[in-house]
Amino acid sequence: MLEFMDYVLTAFHAQSRWNRDNSYASLTATAANLLDFPVPNGIRLHVSALSSANFASSYTLGSRGVVDGSLSYLYTSLGLSIPSRSSALHLGNLVQGYRHLAALQQPENLRLNEILRNGKKEERRDALLYGRLYLPTSSLEALYLRRISATRLLRLACVSDGTLPNGGSILAVLQNDFGKYSTEYLYSTDSSLIGARGLYNFGYDPRSPDKPSGRTPAHPWDHQGGRLSAGAEAYFSPMNKSGGISTGLRFTTLPIHTGFPYTMTLTINPLMGNLSSSYAVKAGPNLAFCSRFDFNVYSYESDVMIGMELWQRQQPSTEVSWANALLRSDWKRAEADPNGVLKARVDNHGKVGLLWECRVKELLVSLGAGFDLKKRERMLGNVGVEPASDPPDAIIFGAYSLQGSRKQIVAECGYNLASK
Amino acid sequence: MAFNFNWSPLIADTDRVREMLTSSLNKSPKPPIIVDDIIVNELNLGSTPPELEILEVGDLAEDKFRGIFKMSYTGDAYLTLKTRVQANPLNTYLSTKPSFASPQPLAASSGLTIPLQITLSDIRLSGFVILVFSKQKGITLVFRNDPLESLKVSSTFDSIPFVRDYLQKTIESQLRVLFMEDLPAIIHRLSLRMFSPEHQSAEAQDPSKANTDERAPIDPFASSAEQPTDSFGQPLEGGTLFSHDAPSETYASFSQKNLLRLAALTESQRTLSLFTPGMRDTVYRAWASSADRNDMSNGISTPLHRPTLSRIQSTLGSHSAWSSSAPSQASETPSVHSRPSLASFPSAPTVYSLGSTASRSRAGRKRKNRVVNLRKEKVEGDVSDMASVSSGYPESANPSATGSTEASLHEDAAAVAREGEINTPPRSPKKKVGFQQSSDTIRLAPDSRRPVTPRNSTLVPPPDDDDQTPRASMYLPIPDEQKTPQKPEPRPSRQRLSRNQTLPDRVKPPELPRSASDLSLSSLPFSIDGSSGGILEQAWMMKMANEIARKVAEEKVRRPAWRSDEEEGFGRRGGAEAPPAYVS
Repeated sequence: MLEFMDYVLTAFHAQSRWNRDNSYASLTATAANLLDFPVPNGIRLHVSALSSANFASSYTLGSRGVVDGSLSYLYTSLGLSIPSRSSALHLGNLVQGYRHLAALQQPENLRLNEILRNGKKEERRDALLYGRLYLPTSSLEALYLRRISATRLLRLACVSDGTLPNGGSILAVLQNDFGKYSTEYLYSTDSSLIGARGLYNFGYDPRSPDKPSGRTPAHPWDHQGGRLSAGAEAYFSPMNKSGGISTGLRFTTLPIHTGFPYTMTLTINPLMGNLSSSYAVKAGPNLAFCSRFDFNVYSYESDVMIGMELWQRQQPSTEVSWANALLRSDWKRAEADPNGVLKARVDNHGKVGLLWECRVKELLVSLGAGFDLKKRERMLGNVGVEPASDPPDAIIFGAYSLQGSRKQIVAECGYNLASK
Repeated sequence: MAFNFNWSPLIADTDRVREMLTSSLNKSPKPPIIVDDIIVNELNLGSTPPELEILEVGDLAEDKFRGIFKMSYTGDAYLTLKTRVQANPLNTYLSTKPSFASPQPLAASSGLTIPLQITLSDIRLSGFVILVFSKQKGITLVFRNDPLESLKVSSTFDSIPFVRDYLQKTIESQLRVLFMEDLPAIIHRLSLRMFSPEHQSAEAQDPSKANTDERAPIDPFASSAEQPTDSFGQPLEGGTLFSHDAPSETYASFSQKNLLRLAALTESQRTLSLFTPGMRDTVYRAWASSADRNDMSNGISTPLHRPTLSRIQSTLGSHSAWSSSAPSQASETPSVHSRPSLASFPSAPTVYSLGSTASRSRAGRKRKNRVVNLRKEKVEGDVSDMASVSSGYPESANPSATGSTEASLHEDAAAVAREGEINTPPRSPKKKVGFQQSSDTIRLAPDSRRPVTPRNSTLVPPPDDDDQTPRASMYLPIPDEQKTPQKPEPRPSRQRLSRNQTLPDRVKPPELPRSASDLSLSSLPFSIDGSSGGILEQAWMMKMANEIARKVAEEKVRRPAWRSDEEEGFGRRGGAEAPPAYVS
């Protein structure tokens, strides 16, 4: 489950119309969501609030070590109109599952981001500031986002920690999204790492107003029901004299595709000889499967991981059951709000991960467990519970409950039974 | 001064060392480039031992020792390690960075683990090492400077010069750190495990016992690898602490049983018990002969004397079990000057040799007389209380060690002379009596531990004096008193007297035959009347006294200055630890 701050960040991107999926870094996002979900570790309590449209705060208290916690604050210049009540949050926005790719957009054509300033049309330059302080370890994280132009986003991420060399590091990323392709350039002060990423989408070009459904395929690879993307990344560190490159390919079916939506990815690291391929399919409105196979041509090491995701929808209440009976079967039905999600993964080393995320009476609860079947005597148990309660019931920040409806308290807590 | 290592037993048991090295290498957090545990594949200590040279002996006692050595090693030991490393530098770099500010590459940081095998060979060490041995606290071995001179690192990446050089540089620097910082801790733990039964874990004991069962020529301390210097002070305590029953014959030139008997003697001295066990296969300092002095190699002399073991072991190095064993294990080819710090002093051999030659020329009786004559307490102190002998050792070293070991050694060397000197000058005009007196005086030290007849109560040194060897401070005021009552007494009465006075001492002459003939211990204290050959014995004693006095006089002439030092030292020490027998 996304933390509240990540949720706000996602909302910021969505509201400022920035396509996060159009980046090489998120090439394997679907497989990562279905397979690499984080199992909570220890008890953790999150108390968050969207104090205003521009300000959010969040506090966490955890049990790692003796006690650990963090406070975080977020400010955006773009007023966010998102539901922040835990009871009003759509679980689908919080829980990342099978990702349906958003349609590519031509950023230059967007007129929604223009504002009038001093009589001239200017694009909005939204900024976001975020800071997080981890208390026991005294480390500070900071994030600065700035939409420089319709196609450019600057991201500065800093970490300041006494234990790190040079006291911390700053990562600067400049992302360009041109619809058909996107590029990223990054620089990290830690060992002077320079990196570049690029992604190219075959097929539909948002710059030309063709409709994919009506267009005849221009070539065999022009699969209108799907999108083929290819990308590459390269990193180099002059200090370490080290670097890395990788390249990847992804094919995703678009929503107009008839049949089960599926996503296939293939990433290659030619230097290390790593091959990774994944296949994810959405078998139904509530069910998705994914499998990933890793192989190394030099060391012949291989890994297989299988995961699944099951959504639990709210049953229609009895009051509207008569209306449901009137619906025809071929009518498109809106999906009911999900009530809970169950995720599971197994890998060939016998490691099992389970995660159940649900909403329990205004609380968002997340329970997770991790097992190692090969070690009979020790099974890791992780249980994470994330409750989110309404302001009146909130114990911790009662002050927030007094203010307007925007101010909500989303309290989450995670509880872990790790028996290491 | 150098040591002779019996290196082979140390090679034999490397399994435990390997396990210890493996666990200690994996205990500290490993750098992220090492993915798997570091396993010690093979450890071979080579065929040549390191060369040790004593520079300074700072503290020498029954249960502690401190010395500075110069060590150099140019052997063919090698060590092979096996592990797996991460070949993707981006992976190791990013794994240690917080994920918030990490570029989070998609696949560029995927890992590739490569197995790696490293062999360290051609190790050249040279440096100064400080060894501190303490019975309670184990052994501490600290390098004063960085001992690593050069090292050859060969690995599976030798074909890549960049990696090879990087590995060589990294491992060399890590080894330097290991020698300076980690090795003392490892050795300390190992020594604690070896010496203190309470520290010994069951697992540690079982393999060691299994080892002792397997191999006949057992060196009980063989499993302490890289501890050649341990044999220095080890045998003393180790023999009492270990429960090995089988006396080692080949390597350990001391017998466990004898050590136990020595411990019993020590105890009997302290508890005023009448039980004094006889020692088999031991060499008494008094039996040292000049001939043996020339073949100073304990390794040579000890086996030489083994067959005639019961009493005729007359090597200097072997006058005490520990001192014999230690040099036999650790000392190099004997030389007069190489010996002193351990067991004896230049003058001592002559003194002893006189007695020993005399003893050799005659059988049985002579030896008995010699023991009686020379140093009754001292021998006893040596035999009965090996700890105190060694304590006498360091004690002599203590007051005399003022910094240069040579000086202290010389002082110690002269201590024997001094002792004889101090004892004998009053005797010289009346050698016989003086001798008697000296023998009596020598007996005084243990007298303090024994029931003493009222007549000799004046002779008793201060009760708090735990020094069991005669000292000038003890004896100087006494001789006159001692002399007069004893002089007119006939021999037998004197003997009786001395019997009362010095039970252990008197026990000595009968003890020797006993040890030789394996008499029962219970007969020890009571067979005084069985002293045979009374007249011959007395004559021989007088002759020995004359010779001793002469030698002592020579020493005194040579080193007149030491007397003051020694008296000073004694005055200082007062009731402190017992100096060695030769320090009067």
